[in-house]
Amino acid sequence: MADWLTRIEEGSARVVDGAAQVAARLAGGTLRLGVTGLRRAGKTVFITSTLNNLLLAGRLPFLDVLAQGRYIGAQLRPQPDGAIPRFDYENHLAALTGPAPAWPQATRAVSEIRIALRYRPAGLVRRRLGGVATLNLDIIDYPGEWLLDLPMLRQEFGDWSVQTLELASTRPRHDLARPWLEALDTIDPAMAADEATARQLASLYTQFLRQCRASRIGLSLLQPGRFLEPGEMEGAPILTFCPLPPAPDGRWRNGSLGALMQDRFEGYKDKVIRRFFRDHFARIDRQIVLVDLLSAINAGEPGMEDLRRSLSATLESFRHGTGGWLDWLGGARVDRVLFAATKADHVAAPQHATLTGLLETLMADRLRHIRFEGAAVKSLSLAAVKCTDNVLTEHEGRQLACIQGFPLGRTEPLVLFPGELPDSHLGLGDAVADRFRFTDFQPPPGLGRDGRGLPNIRLDQALEFLIGDRLA
Amino acid sequence: MSRTEDKAPPAWVPPMEFDPASARPLPAELEPDAPTSLAGDILPPPRRGKGAARLLLLSLAALLLAALGFDTADLINRAFNWSPWAGSALAGLLGLAVASLGWLTGREALAWRRLRRVDDLRQRAAALLAGGATGKEAAVLRDAVADLYAGRRDLAPARHALASAVTDAHDGREMLALTDRILLTPLDSAAYRLVLAASRDVAVGTALSPAALLDVALVLWRNMKLVREIAALYAARPGLFGSARLVRRMAENVGVAGMVEGGDGLLVDALGGTVAAAISARLGQGMVNGLLTARIGLAAMHLCRPLPFAADRQPGLNDIRKELLRLPQKIL
Repeated sequence: MADWLTRIEEGSARVVDGAAQVAARLAGGTLRLGVTGLRRAGKTVFITSTLNNLLLAGRLPFLDVLAQGRYIGAQLRPQPDGAIPRFDYENHLAALTGPAPAWPQATRAVSEIRIALRYRPAGLVRRRLGGVATLNLDIIDYPGEWLLDLPMLRQEFGDWSVQTLELASTRPRHDLARPWLEALDTIDPAMAADEATARQLASLYTQFLRQCRASRIGLSLLQPGRFLEPGEMEGAPILTFCPLPPAPDGRWRNGSLGALMQDRFEGYKDKVIRRFFRDHFARIDRQIVLVDLLSAINAGEPGMEDLRRSLSATLESFRHGTGGWLDWLGGARVDRVLFAATKADHVAAPQHATLTGLLETLMADRLRHIRFEGAAVKSLSLAAVKCTDNVLTEHEGRQLACIQGFPLGRTEPLVLFPGELPDSHLGLGDAVADRFRFTDFQPPPGLGRDGRGLPNIRLDQALEFLIGDRLA
Repeated sequence: MSRTEDKAPPAWVPPMEFDPASARPLPAELEPDAPTSLAGDILPPPRRGKGAARLLLLSLAALLLAALGFDTADLINRAFNWSPWAGSALAGLLGLAVASLGWLTGREALAWRRLRRVDDLRQRAAALLAGGATGKEAAVLRDAVADLYAGRRDLAPARHALASAVTDAHDGREMLALTDRILLTPLDSAAYRLVLAASRDVAVGTALSPAALLDVALVLWRNMKLVREIAALYAARPGLFGSARLVRRMAENVGVAGMVEGGDGLLVDALGGTVAAAISARLGQGMVNGLLTARIGLAAMHLCRPLPFAADRQPGLNDIRKELLRLPQKIL
């Protein structure tokens, strides 16, 4: 009963979303840009740099509206949803450009911002009609951990438990999971529900997730995301569950620990994940997927595989398709998806093509699938904030393409040969520490001092693909 | 058949192993050719004149020159014999003539060289873009294109914009694309305006001219003027020989340029002309002539540009067609 009610509710909500998207497109007024990326992929920096560059408009030569001289200007506006905090653009920018430049802190909660872009339309008719047009671009920022909750929407507690337990028993995670798994062995999930046990298990599981996140391999497939970044739900009972071994006969007896955890899992899906998805992702028009490939390569094949699994599972939750006129009946759809390998400034410029190719081979299945659904797909390597310079050095009579910048925690600039990227994510092996060690750099002092916007690599091409057609 | 198999030595049994070190990659000729786009700017190379015809022309010209030289020397000699004053006056005239001829030739040669340089740049750029340009080659090319316009004060802002837009992270393709977009776009729109104006002139002129012969003269003169204007805009004002060469190459390529929009072509133009002709025969003729002029203008743009047009930024006939269709309303 409740099941089909939910389904009807979901279906009607989807049609309403679709109608709203079409209405917004007709009015030409707003565009929701979904910035998706796992933890540390660079969402906050990307948003900050995008806003800064759109506001100052000095470093985006590939954005057609700018190149054709039709761009008038941009301004930050109050976002439409008053209940969500505003994206703290000013402080993030100050962190990047201040006297002691640093990357912004990890994001802990949702925030939103709207930027209004004024331009002169290119088409004759629209130019005659209005003269000046405005496009509102809505962007939200959120902890990357939460994104990984989305695949859970399609899973039942049993399936999810099996999958998570299986993952926890494989090698990179097994050692970290030991305390939790041992505790799990000592209890019988069929016993009567007991809040203290539930709390203890959940906290052990949370510890395991935290250790995974902190591990050198940088595991990213960590569910549920709110255990790591609870946001406003800190301490809520809905966050006290953990995967359990499957029930012997398929379902837990009423009043048992298993039933309690299953209820909380369903509640988590309903109250947390579904709400998050509906509020922020259900109506996005364009999507950029930020992928931090370099850290994953540093972690070797397990890291790459983990990244691929996390991203693929996440992307399944989005509805991609053509922006056709009758498609709104099936709900709002994302009609352009950009895959971006971030931190491209951490390798030398001649390696960018390899970086893009690597991203394409890693995500080949997803790319093909999204393309088949009808959305336009593009991939490139970008750096939202370019913090290194390309230099050439001589080494043993050979010219090496190096980068010059400030590695994290250093105050002196350094010239570094970052190494060459592999052609494929396959056959990397686990022990790659001696082959790949891509260093993290921090923003150099004096970024954007010339008032033309933060230096970047291919941010303009990314924006041209994502919003360029709506600025025509 | 069976006899040859019997004769084959036993070492030729089909699954046979070789040393991998001795294998070399398949020669490139066996692979399919790289696609060459006709709509792009890889134009066919200029046809070389026939050797015999060229020899004939050259020898005739040399003969004529020798005859002229002898005659002139003779004339000056006789003048000196008659009076030293007249002789020196004539010699002065000769000197002036020779000097001005040299000056003209020098200017012509300069313009010619500049046009050749533009041709060369375009071909190099096309080759680079086809084969994945490296940053260094593209940078050389970008500087060469920027050098071409170093003396142009109207392009100084664009040159500045280009210098500040290119960073060390751009690859060759992006660098050429930026050069194209920033430096050449103002020139493109100016050239397009020239083409538009010329095709309008021709359309109106043919519609109004009283005699067919006058039509022909008008079309020829306006087209020639258009080509020279476009060449001057992009590269250098061509002299007599430069213009002749341009016109010849354009005659070879007029079908290539301006054919980018799908499903269009001379047929559509002719059809548009017919529709206009239903209103007035003269108007129809004017339309067709105007569109032909536009085609010639676009071909000249392709030929005089130092970089090939990007596939998605080629100038099309659409705007010109619309403008021409609006003409009758304006006139009537």
